[in-house]
Parts: sequence; structure tokens; C-alpha cells
Amino acid sequence: MKRTILALLAAIAAASAPVVAGEAWAQGKYVHANNSGYDNLDPHAIFDVGRAASRINFYDGLYRWVDNPPKMIPWLAESHTASADGKTWTFKLRKGVKFHDGSEFTADDVIYSIERMLAMKKGAASLFLPIIAPGSTKAPDKYTVVFTLKEPSAIFLATVPEILVVNSKLVKKNEKDGDWGQAWLARNVASSGSYKLKRYDPAIGFVGERFKEHFAGWGPKAFDEIEFRTVLETNTRVQGMIKGDFQGTDGYLPYDQILRLKEAKNVQILEAESMRVFYFSMHNGRSLMNDVHFRKALAYAFDYDGFIKDILKGAVARNPSPNPNNLWGAPKDLKGFTYDLEKAKAELAQVKEPLRPITIGTLAGFSETEQAAALLQNGAKKIGIEIKIESAPWPVVQSRMQDRDKNYDMVPLWKSTYYVDPNNWVGELYGSRYIGTRNSSYTKDAELDKWIDEALATNDQEKRRVLYEKAATKVAEQAMGIFVYNTKWYGPYAANIGGIRFSPIGSGQDMRWAYYK
Amino acid sequence: MRRLEMILSRLVWFVPTMAGLVIIVFLISNVIPTDPVRVLLGENATAPQIEAMRIKLGYDQPVWVQLARHFRDIVSGNLGISIYSQRPISEDLISRLPATLELTLAAITLSVALGIPLGVISALKRNSLLDHILRVISVSGLAIAAFWLALLLQFFFAMKLGVAPLNSRIDGFGPTPVTGFMIIDSLLDWDMESLHSALSHIALPALTLALPAAATIVRFTRAGVLDVINSNHVLYQRAMGLPPGLIVWKYVLRNALISTVTQIGLIFGVLVTNAVIVETVFDWPGMGTFAVQSILQSDHKAIIGFTIWIGALIVIVNLLVDITHSFIDPRGTR
Amino acid sequence: MMPGWRRGLGRFASDRASALGLALLLALVVAAVFAPILAPFPGDVADFHTANRLRPPDAVNWLGTDRMGSDLLSRILFGARITITIAVVAVGSAVLVGVPIGLVAGYYGGWPSNLLMRVSDVFLAVPQIVLAIAIAQTLGPSIENVILALSITYWPFWARLVFAETRSLKNEVFIESAIALGASPLRVMTLHVLPNIASAIIVRTSIGMGGTILTAAALGFLGLGAPPPTPEWGRMIAESREFLPEAWWYATVPGVAIFMVVMGFNLLGDGLRDFLDPRIRRGAGVK
Repeated sequence: MKRTILALLAAIAAASAPVVAGEAWAQGKYVHANNSGYDNLDPHAIFDVGRAASRINFYDGLYRWVDNPPKMIPWLAESHTASADGKTWTFKLRKGVKFHDGSEFTADDVIYSIERMLAMKKGAASLFLPIIAPGSTKAPDKYTVVFTLKEPSAIFLATVPEILVVNSKLVKKNEKDGDWGQAWLARNVASSGSYKLKRYDPAIGFVGERFKEHFAGWGPKAFDEIEFRTVLETNTRVQGMIKGDFQGTDGYLPYDQILRLKEAKNVQILEAESMRVFYFSMHNGRSLMNDVHFRKALAYAFDYDGFIKDILKGAVARNPSPNPNNLWGAPKDLKGFTYDLEKAKAELAQVKEPLRPITIGTLAGFSETEQAAALLQNGAKKIGIEIKIESAPWPVVQSRMQDRDKNYDMVPLWKSTYYVDPNNWVGELYGSRYIGTRNSSYTKDAELDKWIDEALATNDQEKRRVLYEKAATKVAEQAMGIFVYNTKWYGPYAANIGGIRFSPIGSGQDMRWAYYK
Repeated sequence: MRRLEMILSRLVWFVPTMAGLVIIVFLISNVIPTDPVRVLLGENATAPQIEAMRIKLGYDQPVWVQLARHFRDIVSGNLGISIYSQRPISEDLISRLPATLELTLAAITLSVALGIPLGVISALKRNSLLDHILRVISVSGLAIAAFWLALLLQFFFAMKLGVAPLNSRIDGFGPTPVTGFMIIDSLLDWDMESLHSALSHIALPALTLALPAAATIVRFTRAGVLDVINSNHVLYQRAMGLPPGLIVWKYVLRNALISTVTQIGLIFGVLVTNAVIVETVFDWPGMGTFAVQSILQSDHKAIIGFTIWIGALIVIVNLLVDITHSFIDPRGTR
Repeated sequence: MMPGWRRGLGRFASDRASALGLALLLALVVAAVFAPILAPFPGDVADFHTANRLRPPDAVNWLGTDRMGSDLLSRILFGARITITIAVVAVGSAVLVGVPIGLVAGYYGGWPSNLLMRVSDVFLAVPQIVLAIAIAQTLGPSIENVILALSITYWPFWARLVFAETRSLKNEVFIESAIALGASPLRVMTLHVLPNIASAIIVRTSIGMGGTILTAAALGFLGLGAPPPTPEWGRMIAESREFLPEAWWYATVPGVAIFMVVMGFNLLGDGLRDFLDPRIRRGAGVK
């Protein structure tokens, strides 16, 4: 009998024995393990960091973010001019650009794309809905596009790379009942982008095939094929990297995992400063939480050192304000809070209102948020504040944060880079014009609003820097959130890969530059 | 006649059962504190965006209107659009069904292949050391948490020994999809590399699922065989001088098989239950991962769609089992 | 009845498997009740020592430490309380709801019994865990909600069981004669039917506890159980996944704990079946 069992085990082992690793390399194929599902390929429907790869590798924008510190390079557009009042923006387009189907890219495609975004009202549309009216974008000729803004906006240019251009003729052919081709584009690609869609299964991921005629040209050793697979479990991604099943994965793994990957010979870890601030979002618009002394008590009750040095092994840098330290607009000499229970008690003593249990919502699957919440819970308990932790998936947490009444008291999370401008952080998180969307602190502070609005209306960088520094300082000092660290990016890639161009936008998943050494 | 009657009455009850299921799940998913429209539009949505979408999707209507619409949609075969992936739910489910079926069928095969011989041997050698060991194993098989067993197997076979892959169904995208079953498709393509990859990927999840099921089968087979051995019928045959081997295979096994077939319905239920968790651990792109993700993302329509499908699947399997049983063992027709 | 009882009792006591089951459950109860005394670091249920993260078992932390540096042994012991609470309250309330419904439906027959069968069909058409996940997610993660989700999805099972048992008993002579003698339906149900189906209920309760613990742990594993830092066993396994294969003890400890407790309930259930319900003996009477 024992023999039967052994035989069975042997059969299983034999069936699975030589897992061929590294074979992919020979064919110039790159396999990436991603932490979210590619369930929709429509570049105008999705906008989250986790699903950036399909947007970046399949689609082109007028400009493109590359490198770190991030810079914008001309892409489908060659140049632009802005009118003196900051409202009219004219873009000169590149000539002779071909879509995947061989047809030519023109200004009509840009106009169709922006109108499609404004009509669908999904994804990145929220960046443009407040400043561009439908039908206001014009094409004086085949290679010129003119945007006319409703009001001057200092961040418009920084958001232009998010206008990804679809092949309008092809999409129009596949429109159904005026849906702007949404059903079709969810599973198909119509673009001029670096890769053509070769295979797609929403449950698995996608394969892109190099578009050899791409206008930007190619390096001699660029990948012929890129495959992005959904692998939700962190450990599976890490083990797969070590075994050689994957050649890359996301660069914001828990640091314990990075240490493991560093020991693997076939894996390299690329390090880069990033702009992704980890903080506790606080609901400033609710009883008790609107008391500055109560918020300060909490800010003194978080063990910053225990978190950064022990749990994250010192892999990140303390960031005391909402603005990332490595971007202009971050206050220079800001001290920030420390873990000091005596000061916390002193602040708490000044709170007049009766205490109540505080709720923290954590992001399921992101263990760092749970660990941070547990640490704060522990510190708060020592000064007599009870904290309850509720864990939920990101979409759930997010939708609750946008609702003033259903929002948690606090949420530990990251604010990632959607565009490189301090407004992405302190502006969106604390300007009252963003309440109900990205301002989930429900802060409505006349002084902050004045600074933020002023900074949006001018293109004078020096003036803007001062304003954002003032705003960030006030937010930090009044503990409108608990600001912990700015992430470093640790991009795990197979050791024989070169040419990864990391940019905080796109998180190092823009594969057109990379190659096997 | 009674057989036909049974089938007919089951079919008649199928519709109200499914309708009840839809109502229950609809009510459950409607209490979810999450706003599906906000989930759909993401963190950058503005109030007018949200309002417009709410009206478009009918979430501004009273609950009963939504329920009525829902029934209308289901009857017309339209399960709606997933809030999260923004694609038709039936499409997702159809594309994921083969993965789940392949896994559960592999697990059933494995558990029958393990369970019946072991059960027979256990009974024939009752009270031997082997019997005791097998009984300890079969009791343990039912006490082990499926997700933990999955982790154990991953730990030993994938992480320590490195002989099996950690997750997913196949390396890359696999053979040309025809049936959706990776094993069959790679045979159709005569693609041995894919076949090898598919088999090695299915080994661990199928084993995880099969062990508790095999434990059940061992227990039932053992009890069944002992019953038959001690029945007057077999005693009589033995007295007639038939060789014991023949008795075992001809009389004992046939009866043991009958009792196993009856159990398959039950086992299938256990398998589907465990599959939900096991698929999640192994990133198996089947209906189980779809269900867990939909629930975690509060994707109401996807949850309802999945529940209808899985409910229908289980009802149909049970019906098939009853029909098969009525053929194998006409006495027992209920 | 007496000789059967006595025989059963003897068999129960001499059955090593049942004794083992009982011992495992006693250990669980002791762990739960005396957790504050037995735990080497009782504070570690909520306290952290981040400098001590992920220590393998040693002389100080016998079962190692977790991702926050807390002592695993202490957390496992306190976790026993949660496990017992969930199993007892969830199964208990499912029994309290399901048994009366099954009794009434089985006793009266007719449309109530049809209605019951159909309603429970609906519940039983979907794996319990799927409905439980949906309910737990709807209500929000907490122990109370896990218990609620499990009871809501588990009562139909009891209703079906009691229904079937009652139906088959109803035609027995002693029930018929009780009815003929003018006993009220309530009296017949509680004094005549219930005692005779009690053994079936008790046996299924023991086995059902095991199953319920597994389902509850699965909910915890998916993040739908008690919020951190509650030392719920399923959640602990979920937390440990990230640290495999290096921190092998982290996943092993709670997994073994679940295994032993479920094993305890299953063995006890098997033993009770032999003892209380000799009709359906394990191994069909061959010993």
C-alpha cells in the first residue's frame, strides 16, 4: 500500500518536475507578475496605479513621463504654446505616426479621445472635467490641436500625458448604441502604442507584441513580447521571481520581501527615490477628529521608529508633511511629530469633548496598512484612546472615504503620483474644492483654500513653491493627517535585464526601453 | 414511471428555487454599505459624474424596481455588467467555468482513484495496522482546513522541493482554447509542453481538493464493503465455495460503487465549497476566485450571477446523481 | 434500552479515538479558560515588540513570534477563546432556530413542510461558504458578524435533519398512541419526538462544530473575520503567508491548532454516534 502512495507521489513529482525557467529569455519575452487584475483594457476607463501597464504599453499620450526625477518628453505632440492668460493651449502634433492598423494619426484622434473621456466620465476624466468643456477642443489643421480651458490651470500641462489617444476611426466602427466603443475597447486595443495586443484573458492577463513601426523607434534588443499576468498573492510573486518564472514585479513590495529577493542571485533590485507618501488620512470634519489637540495626541502616539526601523527595516525615509520630500513645495525645516506618549497625554488633556472609540479602515491585502494601524492602536491604548480596526478591500475603503458620513475616522494609505506637482498631494488632499473626490479629510480651511487656489491660478513656479510649502506646513503642524514616510521604489527585475526607466508615474512598467543584457 | 416523475418534479421546483436564491442574494448584496457607483468610478469621480452614472445604472430606483429589473435581465439571459471589470458577467463566468470544472473533475477522479481502493483494502484487512493508519488519515483528511493544506503543499512541493509551480493553470496562456480545458486543449494541439505544464499546475490544487473528498470515500467504501461482506448473501456465496477474490470484485465492489455514486453529489458539494478557497490560494482563474473577488469588491451583480450559476450547477449535479442512482440501483428510487 | 446504553457507554470509554477527541477538546477548553494564566506573555494579544519580529521558536518564545513581534503561543491560547465562542454560539443558534422549525414542519406535514423544504433547498443550493462570505462582507468584519453569517447559513441544515427524523418517527406506534390519547401537539413534540431524535442532533452538533470552525477560519483567512490584532487562527494563517517558506512556524502553529480542535470534534462525534445511535455505527458493527 505504501508503495502505491509513493508511486502516486512520484507520478505527481514526475508530472511537474522540470519547470522550464529562463526559456522565455531566449525569445526576447518578458513576463511581469502584477498585483491587480487586468480586467479592462480601456485606457479611458481605468486610472489606478495597479493597472498602469496596459495604458502605458498599449497607448501613447501627447507627452510622456520618463525617468526620475520625472520629466515630460514630447511624444505624439512635438511642442506646445500657451496663451498669456493661461487658457489657450496649442499642441503641434508629430507627422507620419501610424496606428497598429496602418492608418495615420491626426488631430481628429486627439479630439475624439478627449471628447470620449469627457463623455465617459471615468478614470482620468476627473482631471479634465472641471477645466475643459465638451466640444471646446478644436483642430485648426490635421496636425494642430487647441485646448481652451474654462479657467487658467497650473497643473494642466502636468496632466496632458493622461490624454491617451485611441484610433478614432477604428473605435467608431465598433461603437454600439452610442457607447463610445466601451464594450469593444475593454477587450481590444486601438492605438499607435509600443505594443500590439496579442492575447488577452481577463482572468490571466495580457500579451503584447512589439509594434515594430512605432514612431519612437526601438533599441536593438527591445523585448519582442511582454506578458503581464495577474498574481494577487505577494508571496507567489516573490517566489516566482526567485524561481525565474517572472522577470519583473511591482516595486512596492513589503520590505521583508525585498530582503528575500536581494538574496536571490537571478534577481536585481533597482532602487529609486519615489513620490508615494504613506500617511493616515484623518476625517477632520467629524466630532473629536476636528479637535486639533486630539489629532496631535494621536500623532504623538504613533511609533514612527518602530514602524520605519523595525517593520520596514529602515528602507524608507521619514516624510513629515503631505508633500514628498524630494519634490519642490515640501517644507524644508519641518520637524514633524515623534513618538512621545507624555506629549500625547498633555494634548489629550486639552480635549474637552468626551472620548469615543475611533475607527481605522485598513486596506485588505496590504499588510503594511494593517501593521501601521495596529501600532497606532497600541500607542493610543496607552493614553486611553480606544481604536477599532476594520479591514476592507481598496475599492470598498475608497468608496467609503468619498462619503462624509460613511468615511472611517482614519485610513492609513499611500498617496501616489498621478501627476508631478505638489497639488497632487497637499492640494488634492486638503483643498476644499476636492471634497467628495480626492479630499477625504473633509478639511475646509479658508487659509489653506486661499493658498491652494492661488497656486493653481498662476504659472509662477517660485510663487507656487512658497504657497505649497506654507500649506504643507500648516497641514502637518495641525496634524490634519499623520504623515509617516515617503516610499522608495525597489523594483525587482531579473538580473539580466537592463534599461528599466523608472518613473513615479508608471512605476517602472514602461517596457519599451528595457532589454536583456 | 417513478423515475420520470422524480425528474419532472425536480425540474418544476428548479425555477422557484433559483428565484428564491436570487432574492436572498439580492437582499444580502443590497445591504452592503458600499456604493457600487463610487466603486465603479474610482477615487477621482465628481458628484455629477456619480449622479449621472447612478441614474444610468438604475441605482436611483427603489429596491423592488431594481429587483424586478434584475429578474427581467436574468430571464433574458443578461446578468449585467460587472462594476469592477465593466464587462458582461456571463462572459466572465463562461470563460471561467472550464477552469473550475477541470479542477473539480481532476479532484473527483483523484479522490475516487485513491478512496475506493484504500477503502476496500481497509475493510478487507480490518483492524490491521494498515487499517488503523488509513482510518487516522481519513479522519485527519476531514479535519484539515483546505486553505492550510494548500499552503502546506505549496510549502513542500513548490517552495522547498521546487517540483511543482506555485500557482495558476499553465505557463503563459496555454494552447489554443477550444474546450477551455487545458489538458484536453493541449492534447488537441498535440502540444506536449503545454500538457506537461497543465498537469504540473493542476497537481497541487487537485490534490488539496481531493484529500478531504478521498477521506470521505474511504470511510463510506469501508463501511459499505464491511456491510456486504457480512451480509447473508456473501456468506452464502462463500459457503458455495466461490473463491474469495471473485467475491470481492464481483459482489463487494459493485455494491461499494453504488454507495459511492450516491455520495458523489455530497462530495461535489464539498469540493465546490473547498474550490472557492483553494482557487484563491492557487490563483486558479476559475469561478471561485471570481466569487471571492466579486464579494470583496462588493460587485453586487457579479455576486448574484455567480450564485445563480453555482446553484444551478449543484442542483443539476444532484439531479444527475439521482438519475444515475435510479439506474444502478432501481430498488432505491425515491 | 438499558443494555444498549450500557454497552454503548462501555464502548465509548474504551474507544481510544473518542477518548483522544475528548482530550483534545478538554485541552481547548482549558486553553480558552486559563489563557491569561497559561500564556507566557498575556499582553501580547495586543502588544508589540517590533524589534522581536519573526523569531523562530526558542526558549523564550516557545512557538516563535509573528510579524509584530508578539508571542505566538500566547496568541494561540487566546485565540482558543474566539474559536470556542464562534463554534458554540454559531452552531447553538443554528440549532435553536433550525430544530423547532424542523419539528413543526415534520410533525404537521402539508404546506409548511413543503415551504420548509423549498426554503432550505434555496440555502443548500449554494455552498455554505459562499453565502457566509457574502453575508460577512455585507455586515463588515467582526466576530459577531461571522457568527451571524454562519448561523444564517447553517440553520436550514438542522431544519432538514430534524424534519426527516420527525417524519419517520411520526408513524411509530408510540407517537400515534400518544396522539390517540389526546396529548397536545406541543406535548408530543417536546416529550415524545424530541427525546428520540436528540441523539441524532447531538452527534451532528459535534461534527457540525468541527465544520463550523473550518468555515470560520476560512472567513478569517479571507480577511472577513475579526479585525487585527484579534488572535483569530484563520487570520493568523493569512498573515503568515507572506513569510513562507522562511517563517515556517508562523503558518504551522495556527494551522495545527485548527486541525487539532476540528479533529477533536470529529472524533467525539464519531464516538457519540456509536454510543448514542447504535443504528448507524461506524464500521457497520464489525469490531
